[in-house]
Amino acid sequence: MTEVVRRVRVRCGLSRSSPRPWGVALPPVAFVALFILYPLALVLQQSCGYADVFTSEGFRHALWTTVWLALASTVGCLALGFALALVIAFVPFPGAKAVARFIDVYLSFPSFLITLALLFIYGTTGIVGSFQFLTTPWGVLLAEVTYFTPFVMRPLLAAFSQLDTAQLEAASSLGARAPRIVRRIVLPEALPALAAGGSLVLVLSLNEFGIVLFTGAKGVTTLPMLVYSKAILESDYPGACVVAVVNVLVSVGLYGLYRVVSRRAGA
Amino acid sequence: MLVHSRGAKWAVWAVFFVLFLPLFALPLLVVLGASFATNWSSVLPSGLTAAHYDAATRGEALQALTTSLVTALAASLLALAVGTWAALAAHALPKPLRRVLDALFVLPVAVPSVVVGLAVLVAFSRPPLLLNGTRWIVILAHTVLVTAFAYQSVSAAVTRLDPAYEQAAASLGGRPAYVLWRIRLPLLLPSLTAAAGLCFALSMGELSATVMLYPPDWTPLPVLVYAATDRGALFAGSALAMVLMAATLTVLLVVSRIRTRASYR
Amino acid sequence: MNSGIRFDSVTVAYDGNVVLDALDLTVEPGEVMALLGPSGSGKTTALRAVAGFVRPVSGRVFLGGRDVTDLPPYRRGVGMVVQQYALFPHMRVEENVAFGLKAQKVAKGEIRGRVAQALDMTGMAAYARRHPRELSGGQQQRVAIARALAIRPGVLLLDEPLSALDARLRSGMLAELARLHRELPDVSILYVTHDQVEALTLADRIAVMDSARLRAYGTPRELYRSPSDEFTASFVGNANLLPVTVGEEGVFFGGRRIKVSGQAPGAADTLCVRPHLVGLGDGPNQLEGRVSEVQWRGATHRLYVDVDGHRVMADVRELKDPPSHGDAVTLHFAPDDAVLLAAGGSHD
Repeated sequence: MTEVVRRVRVRCGLSRSSPRPWGVALPPVAFVALFILYPLALVLQQSCGYADVFTSEGFRHALWTTVWLALASTVGCLALGFALALVIAFVPFPGAKAVARFIDVYLSFPSFLITLALLFIYGTTGIVGSFQFLTTPWGVLLAEVTYFTPFVMRPLLAAFSQLDTAQLEAASSLGARAPRIVRRIVLPEALPALAAGGSLVLVLSLNEFGIVLFTGAKGVTTLPMLVYSKAILESDYPGACVVAVVNVLVSVGLYGLYRVVSRRAGA
Repeated sequence: MLVHSRGAKWAVWAVFFVLFLPLFALPLLVVLGASFATNWSSVLPSGLTAAHYDAATRGEALQALTTSLVTALAASLLALAVGTWAALAAHALPKPLRRVLDALFVLPVAVPSVVVGLAVLVAFSRPPLLLNGTRWIVILAHTVLVTAFAYQSVSAAVTRLDPAYEQAAASLGGRPAYVLWRIRLPLLLPSLTAAAGLCFALSMGELSATVMLYPPDWTPLPVLVYAATDRGALFAGSALAMVLMAATLTVLLVVSRIRTRASYR
Repeated sequence: MNSGIRFDSVTVAYDGNVVLDALDLTVEPGEVMALLGPSGSGKTTALRAVAGFVRPVSGRVFLGGRDVTDLPPYRRGVGMVVQQYALFPHMRVEENVAFGLKAQKVAKGEIRGRVAQALDMTGMAAYARRHPRELSGGQQQRVAIARALAIRPGVLLLDEPLSALDARLRSGMLAELARLHRELPDVSILYVTHDQVEALTLADRIAVMDSARLRAYGTPRELYRSPSDEFTASFVGNANLLPVTVGEEGVFFGGRRIKVSGQAPGAADTLCVRPHLVGLGDGPNQLEGRVSEVQWRGATHRLYVDVDGHRVMADVRELKDPPSHGDAVTLHFAPDDAVLLAAGGSHD
């Protein structure tokens, strides 16, 4: 660490007057190339048998499940996160600060924890009863919305804390009612944060694995799950690579699309 | 300031807690309760016992905890070093090149962790770098995954840093390297520790890439939690999960202590 | 010592936008030069070109006769104090002041003495162990100055140093800066401000900037008594600017013939008279009008008088019986006190 820092120190300049900033950027670029780009390129190279995979019912089903689950949880998280953040920021109650801290802590827990809890609540021998809710996509959706909502709330709370409350007071003194204030003043200010949180949730839920794995449900198979089962359970590496390539394309594609759309929307 | 009448306020708060408690507080309480129980077939768990914790802090479980801690520590420090270096270097680059670096470092977020695991497995199971079957492949995969987050948060902090400080330092005769060491890095310290904490927590809970490539002698705790639930030992799994969370939170607490001190200096 | 600054046709542009246009200006060793202008006039850019934070697209910058245009900031040896002080928040006051000396590898034993000296000069010796956040704005300001002086610069750059202080502190700091300059007579000071009072009080000479260009420069007295153009006249002190026609027969404002002592600079079309030089009652250069507004300012009354549709300001000693809105009054001013300004509002 110190060695690295010392080397950064020697070679990294005052930003604008540094004579050769490219040289300084080389080591991290080499890191990315060796440990991210090179492995991904190998995955692409090793993927073969696209036709077999594409025609299989399991794959198409997994693709569809992945996409709709991700979209649904993004929408759910945005709506729920906006509503909850709104209350914490603008209708504060004693302990609202603690709740905000709790949200921060929540982000540091692994996702499978939620599924583990749901296993007790909705599982076969659970609190609510022994119906097979968890093994349906709806159980996964509930877990994903629960786990990812804090990822929307955090940037929102940060944005709300910078919103000038004088604006809200001015608006309400002019006779604007709460829904109107939210729509006309709070929402426009929150758009960048919503866009940021939403894009994170979209990409995280497209890639989510722990939640699905822990449900142990055979009925819900997503693309990451398919990669895992093909590679580890079936030792079908070429097939796993095909699914991986598709998964990357879907994730990066949807993520890019989302960014374009949210930028168009003025966020 | 948004809702003024008392009644409306209470209504809003009621809705808040009706949503918030079952969704966010309940799961944690359930796992906590289950970790002390042997049976759960009605509203409350029954058969209270500490035996799961006993098992979760010994033998295989203790080793898994150590494995997780070492992996997370190594991965987050490496990621912090690489991410900070990259963020500082990117800041000095002209805008188009900075965009390229931003995109490269966001890749591990956009690519599914399972795929990162698969890719690392494929790439380092063959010469020239044969890491498969060693602990290094786990540490490497974790580093790759969390570097993206380190880069993003340090990058944001570097951009927010008021250039007036480094300019004042330069006008006083501080060479770039000296200014970086004495001014910029100390000013970035709170953000650096925050980034390190984030990376550590992510690595502690990492499962997706880990299940693709962990060797038998380097089994991190999340894998053990999964193995327990997979064979139906939900209560023992809960205790393991609680140990994982407690370890993560303890380290985060220490980090945030350092952070508070750093920002008060 | 690197005393003295020279700008040799310095042009600075960002993305093709010229923010400083061919500035030629010399600050003599030991001189205080104020760069006075509204925001966006290029004055801060000029200062940053001296410090080395912006690179001119053309022209050269000299410090003490040495061409420093291609030198990085850390090799220029200029002291700089900026608006928000930029004190290093993680260092104590003494560490802040010692920073430049340590960076330049001054011997440890010498650092102590020089830090103490710089803190003594600015009256901050008692606060050496504090952190910046434990200081008031005025104290932070003094530490910033001490930090800049500790490296014994030949040139001190001050960028709006007083604008973050309240009015009362500001006048105290002005006196303080004047005292420091008396104690350091060899140091050249480039003082960037938008406040004419600061410039008039402190500067040996003032350079008036507008729209990336140097409008005028001279001693405060020269600029105040005989401004060269409308912009300078209104930016350095208050001014009545009256449209006049200048011909063979003399100077005319409306139908009136105006006696002016000085020469007209070529094709003049504006007459400048300072409000405090306009008197009430009969005299030379009489103007009749109606009072549109009266402001009592303690020691003076400011009258706004409508003369043929032009507003004329007069600052007169406090009146026992001031006129009120709509009253007819007569104003006058001495031929010596009026200046003819060039047409076009610019002297170049």
